[in-house]
Formats: sequence, C-alpha cells, structure tokens
Amino acid sequence: MAALSERIVITSAGVICSIGAGLEQFEQALYDGTSGLQNSTFCGDQIVTAEVRDFTPQLWLGNKGIRVLDRSARLLCVSAHMALDRSGFLASEQPERDPELGMICGTMFGGLHSIVSFDWSGLTEGPAYVNPMAFPNTVINSPAGQAAIKFKLRGINSTVCAGLASGLYAIEYGAESLRFGRARVLLAGGVEELCEESIIGFQRADVTSRSGSIRPFQGDADGTVLGEGAAMLTLETAESATARGAKPLAEISGFGCAHDATSTNAYQARAEGATAAIEQALEAAKIQPGQVGCIIAGANGSRAGDDMEARSLRNVFRSDIDALPVSAPKAAFGEAMGASGALCALAGAIAIGKRIAPPTIASGSSERNLRLSSKPQPFEKDFVLVNAFNCDGNNASLVLKRWIE
Amino acid sequence: MMRVVITGLGVITPIGSGSQSFWKALVAGTSGIRPVTSFDTSAFPVHIGAEVKDFSPAGHIRRPPESMGRGSQLAVAAALTAIEDSGVELRNFNRRRIGVSMGTTSGEPLFAERYNDIRKAEGLGAIPADLPPKYPCHVIPSNIAIEIEAHGPCLMIPTACAAGNYAIGYAFDLIRTGRVDLMLAGGADAFSRITYMGFARLGAIAGERCQPFDKNRQGMVPGEGAAVLILESLDAALARGARIYAEVLGYGLSCDSHHMTAAHPEGEGAVRAMAMAMKESRVTAEDIDYISAHGTGTPTNDRIESMAVRTMFGDRASKIPMSSIKSMLGHTMGAASAIEAAACALALQTGVIPPTINYEEPDPECDIDCVPNRARETHPRVVLNNAYAFGGNNASLCLARFER
Repeated sequence: MAALSERIVITSAGVICSIGAGLEQFEQALYDGTSGLQNSTFCGDQIVTAEVRDFTPQLWLGNKGIRVLDRSARLLCVSAHMALDRSGFLASEQPERDPELGMICGTMFGGLHSIVSFDWSGLTEGPAYVNPMAFPNTVINSPAGQAAIKFKLRGINSTVCAGLASGLYAIEYGAESLRFGRARVLLAGGVEELCEESIIGFQRADVTSRSGSIRPFQGDADGTVLGEGAAMLTLETAESATARGAKPLAEISGFGCAHDATSTNAYQARAEGATAAIEQALEAAKIQPGQVGCIIAGANGSRAGDDMEARSLRNVFRSDIDALPVSAPKAAFGEAMGASGALCALAGAIAIGKRIAPPTIASGSSERNLRLSSKPQPFEKDFVLVNAFNCDGNNASLVLKRWIE
Repeated sequence: MMRVVITGLGVITPIGSGSQSFWKALVAGTSGIRPVTSFDTSAFPVHIGAEVKDFSPAGHIRRPPESMGRGSQLAVAAALTAIEDSGVELRNFNRRRIGVSMGTTSGEPLFAERYNDIRKAEGLGAIPADLPPKYPCHVIPSNIAIEIEAHGPCLMIPTACAAGNYAIGYAFDLIRTGRVDLMLAGGADAFSRITYMGFARLGAIAGERCQPFDKNRQGMVPGEGAAVLILESLDAALARGARIYAEVLGYGLSCDSHHMTAAHPEGEGAVRAMAMAMKESRVTAEDIDYISAHGTGTPTNDRIESMAVRTMFGDRASKIPMSSIKSMLGHTMGAASAIEAAACALALQTGVIPPTINYEEPDPECDIDCVPNRARETHPRVVLNNAYAFGGNNASLCLARFER
C-alpha cells in the first residue's frame, strides 16, 4: 500500500435548506442572519419548522425521473447537482461517468415518510396493493442510490447514520476513502427530509420547542426546531484539485469522535465524549486549541445538549473560550438532523475562507459566557472547529483549515 | 499499515447461534426456513421466512430487553457472543480505542410498523413517548457501545443487503491505520413486514425453499439475524495469544448507478468491486479459491452474479467453489454479508466450505461450482465475500487464512 494522501480539500459544495439554495444564497442568508423558521406546511400550522419552502427540484433536475424520487432523494439530488455543476463534473458530454466519482451520504432516517407510508398502505389496503415502485425508497440508503443513478456516480457509494453527527462522520468517511485512493472525487455530506412522522416523533419524545423558537446556549431555550435540507461537499486530494485547477474552499484538517456509551437518549452532562472528540480532532489536525479562530457549534436549543457542548468547549479551550467567536447556525436553519453536520461543516468552510464567524440569530444573553453574537465576528486564525453531538452519546468534531497552498 | 485479523465471531441466525452451533448447522446443510410466525401472512401469496426462533434476549443483554428494538437485541447478543468467543478482556483496553461499525437494511423497522398499528387502532395521539427514540438505526451500534462500554467511533452503515461488508471494511481501515485498537463490526436486521411486503410485491419471494443457482430457483426468502466480528491488529492478537480465524486483506466498493433494485445487466459494478478488493489485497484472480456468493436465489441475481464471476475469472470461474449460504439462512438482509463473512472466516480456519443446499438441476446460465448440497474440504487460502444491494451498492471483502 502506497503512503496515504494526507491533504484532503473541499473544492465545491451544493446546498439546499430553509435559508437558501446554492452556495451564494446560503452564505448570504447565513451572514445576513436570515431565519428559516416558519409555521409548518406538513403538520398543521401550529408547529414551527425550518422547511425548504416551495421546493421545486425541477429547477435543477428537470422533469425526467423526478416522480420516483421521494423528498429526501430530491433534496440530495439537488445538492449533488449543484456540487457537481460547480466542480465541472456535470458536463453532459461524459457518457459514462468516471468510476472513481462517488458519494458518502449521512442521514438519520433516509426517506422516513416513504418507509412509513409503504407500511401504512400495506396495513390499510393489503399487501397485494402496495406500490412496488415505492418499495426501493424504503431502504435507508435509497437517497444515495437514487443520486448515483441520476448522476452516474459509479465509484464507492455509502450511507452513514450517526444521528445528528451523521454529516461529520460522512465527511470523514469520504476523506479517509480518498486517503486510501478508493476514489478520485467524492461528494460527502448529509440529507434529511422533514415529514409528518419525524415531526410527530420528535414532539412525542419532547425534543422540540413548544414556543417554536430555537435559542442555542440560551438559558430560556425550550427545545429545538426541526429543519431539513442537504449539503454535499466535493472532496478530493489537494493534488487532484491542483491538477485540475480547482481552488479549494478549505482543507479537511482533523476529525475526532467519541461515544459516551451511557444512554441512547440522553446527553452526558460531564461532556466527556464531547471533550474527547474535540481534543482528538485538534490532535489529528496537529494544532493547539489556541490556533482555532472560530467554532461552529452544533447547539440546537436543546438545554441538555447545549449545556454539554458549552462544557466541552470550556474543558478544551479553558479561559480562551471567552474571546473565541462561536456561531450556532442551527438558530437559522433548524436542526436538520442527518444533514445538519454537513450544513455546519459548510458554514465552517465558508467562515474560515472569509475569516468571519457567522452571526447567531436570537443570541444576546448567553448564560454560558460564550462569545455568540447577532453580528458577524471577524477573527485572525486559520482553523475552525465544527461540532456535531448526538443524544445517543455519539460525538463528532471536525477541524477545517483555511486553504493555503 | 498494520495487518488486521478476525479473532472473534458472534452470530445469531435462523440455523443456530454462536459460532460453533452455527458452523455445525451450516456444514450439515441445515435449512432455517419455516412458515413465518412474526406476523400473519394470510393476505400474502407466500408464507415462508427465516426467523431466529430460539432467541431470548434476556439471556444475553444486561439492560432490560424492552429498552431496545429487536434489531438492537440481535446485534447486542451477537456482540457479546463475539467478545466471549474472542477471549478478549475489554478492561485491558483504552475504551476510547474500542469502536463499533454495523450494517443494516432497515434498522429497527418494527417501531415504524408499531407506529402504524397504533395509528390505525387508536390514532396518532396514542404514540408513546418512548417509541420514537428507539427507532433511528444508529441506536443499534450505540446499544452495542453502551452494553460493552466502547467509547470510540460508532456508526451505522445502512447500505442494505451489502451493509455487513461495508461495516467490516470500515472497521478494517480504522484498525490498520492504528486509529482504533479493537473494532466490533457486522450487521443486524429484524424480521420485518415492510421488507416482506416489498419483496412479496416484487414477486421475489420463493414459495417453498431457497435454491440459489438451480435452474428452477423461484426466488429469495427474507430472514433475520446478526453477526459481529472482532477485528484487531495482528500484533495485538499475537501478543494476547488470541485464536485467529482469518486475516482481512482488503475490500472493494462500487456502485452500478443503473437501477434501484435490479443489478446491472452485465454485473459491471460487481466486477469492479471484486477487482478493487483483489487489487487492494494484493492477490490475483489465481489466488481466489472460494467465493461466498451473494446468491439470493432470484432468477436474475444468480444469473448476473455468475456472469460477473465469469467476466472476472474467465474459464477459471467454473472451477472456483462458490456457494450461497442463503440457501440455508434465507436472506438476512443487512446481516447477510456479515454472517457470510463469519462463515468465510470459519471456512478458512477449518478448511471446510459450506454447501449450497436444495440444488437439483444445473442452470447453464449459472455455470459455476456452487458446492451442491454437501460441504467440501478444500482448505481455501484466499476467499472473496461478495454482497450486492438495493441502490446498486456492491461490496467485496477479501479474507485469507492466517499465515505468519
């Protein structure tokens, strides 16, 4: 086995979520402090979610082959389309796509509505009447499989589930696959759809905000607001990017993950796993905490989760955390579950490129003395830390580096 | 790059649980296919399945079994069995360097089904608060991590019927780069009416038995089960005097990007996955002396799989023994390739390869040696474990008899 390629870079991205579609719109909304929260169209207008409104996948995908795609597959395909288009890999003159072009997709549920609806149809109408065309959408890897067909992605194709940490695990899985030379270019990120079933499920489990607001790290937070969307990052080795003249958005510098292994449904108050994940990510990036210029927090308004993250940040950064800009972008695009790690990683890549931390909507009176701001916060350093911690004790952190040749 | 070995096996299957009774049943050609009892099949045109019948989670799991779904119960039981089988003392490890990677098709589908049952009987208002958190498929590896206090990487790779191979490949990478010291890797799926309904509607389920590669094969048979393999570096295994079942040499992944449920008509992706696995493993086509087939028993799968092997191995294709243990176990979905990897490890360790049962009439379109009906002692050295899935996902894993 040859030496591993060490430098993996993000050369492009596609994104769609409640605050915008496409890299420019996403960046603009993120820095303008635009909120994606509105009354739900899925589940009665009593509930606030962060939906992709008036979603028209045909704008990107055309009409052909759309009908068989469920919402999660459509979201994923739109983000993949944008990422491939920006990278120049969408050119139609390629009849058979490069077999080294692949996808690693993080998700929490896959097409949850497809799964439950298929069963419901069998239960209420009888097994003989279920739609055979709907069955393939009930497998959790269906969105990634559909995207592979749509864009002729013939290289490795995998799906990763680690709850809210899925997106970061997928990015690391992609980076590692590239280091091993298993692919030349990979789309890595995450997708999640909103649907009646996820909204009801999180409501029953008492995770969502009754007031319909999302106030990360705030003392008066009362839960999260569910969102949806997809973000796909184009990953390749630095050599590959240089060879084809692509300018990276950022470099993947380090990843860490640690599991608290205490409960599948509670954050660990001592934040041991979260602290370890951050420390591992910094160690893998070969940097000291003092070299981090900005933190993209996974905080989503869940008190226990946000408390744990705040504690982990203080454990690692000590008193330096007082001066370190922190952004909690889920205040804008909601808790997009399997997509949120990738959305946060993209926010991190944008932030490190500009050296400006995005504002956090509704911030102001943080109990936890973190430097959140409703205004963009400039910084000087070259690294950004992105966190994604899940309530089953699974914690992941990613360090991105400003691209320097 | 470190060498990686398999030192423990935990299997919970329709033909037996624990590596010894599983292997005995497999070599004897035992079928685990019976009339389905998990749910009423009277409205279906088919009635058979491969369920795990003799499984009592309370005998295995520390926590109350009802705190988790059946997918997790099977997975945790397999994990604990694997640890016991490996003789590994977890207390000697840095817990942050023990990880879990699992594969599945459906995760915990019984909760989606219960959601609908309650919705139909009492309305959505009656969904209990503790149901939703038990559903997302990432709880399966998390439940293993909690049970054994593994504090390292933990993830689910739900690449459907090839998922076990993906999960083992992922674990292989973590061990050989030295990122983690011990990995529990495998797959789990619970018997699900969603899966059964889907395959029944596609007309893919056989009426009486599973006959891979037979001319008169009628289809696949849905099943359930779990397998967990213990992976560690060769150095660590030797240092603790572990029994080594097999060495993991490499793996290959590809995507057909052709159709969600149908394989590429020439098995193009399957060939690339095998080629990639062999290249990474630094073995050639001449080295492969057993193939564990995906072998679902559907007319199309077995024909295309045979074609892919012919493309890969040329005239040698019909000389390489290639059996499908799905003839006995049914298709255990996301657990299948993990169970098959365990069978490969046992074949390498014992020198015996398991048969394809129910084989009666050769099919000219499946011109391979499927090890008909009787196990065979061939002492294989290098084997390929092939798995193919919905979404066009192909995964080939290359294992070898351990030699210093």
